[in-house]
Amino acid sequence: MLLFALIISLAFGTLGRRRPAERLKYAAWSFFLFLLVGITIGWLMYPFSR
Amino acid sequence: MQEPITEQPQPETQSAPSRNSEGRELLALLIGVAGWAVPGLGHALQKMWGRALAVFLAVGALVTLGAGMRGNLFTSRGDDAFATLGYFADLGSGSFYALARTFESDGPDVSHSTGDYGTRFLATAGVLNLLAALHAYEAARGRKA
Repeated sequence: MLLFALIISLAFGTLGRRRPAERLKYAAWSFFLFLLVGITIGWLMYPFSR
Repeated sequence: MQEPITEQPQPETQSAPSRNSEGRELLALLIGVAGWAVPGLGHALQKMWGRALAVFLAVGALVTLGAGMRGNLFTSRGDDAFATLGYFADLGSGSFYALARTFESDGPDVSHSTGDYGTRFLATAGVLNLLAALHAYEAARGRKA
């Protein structure tokens, strides 16, 4: 999940923004959101996993 | 009495800006198709080197990891709508779809979770490449990108 989030975030950052600083900020923000959403959904599904 | 011969107005031919616009549209379309066929080529043709490299590496990494994990590469002979949808997603990676088929000489193995993750990686590579090709097309049309 980490690898997936990292690759996609970097691609999104490069495609979505022009300036290097903005790209980095956007990539970091989307990476954080990928992880947050992934972990949140994981915990939400946990009670129904058994 | 004979009518005076008047010069008939000629139908207007396409003006230069219109032809120019059509040419640009065609070029943008070709750039979009090139971007789909070879990930990053659409941006490279427009000298957007950073974006070209990022798209090439991202799609390449996803396809390599997906095929390495023995993810499922869908074919055109899908059994249901999801398989057809998966095929279109996989096909989005252009020539890398054919490369992934070559990498996966042993075929997919989705009996383990890694194979299932690999399937997602391959589909994401295709969708990401389609997004990048669309971005290259829009940039070639002169839209802000």
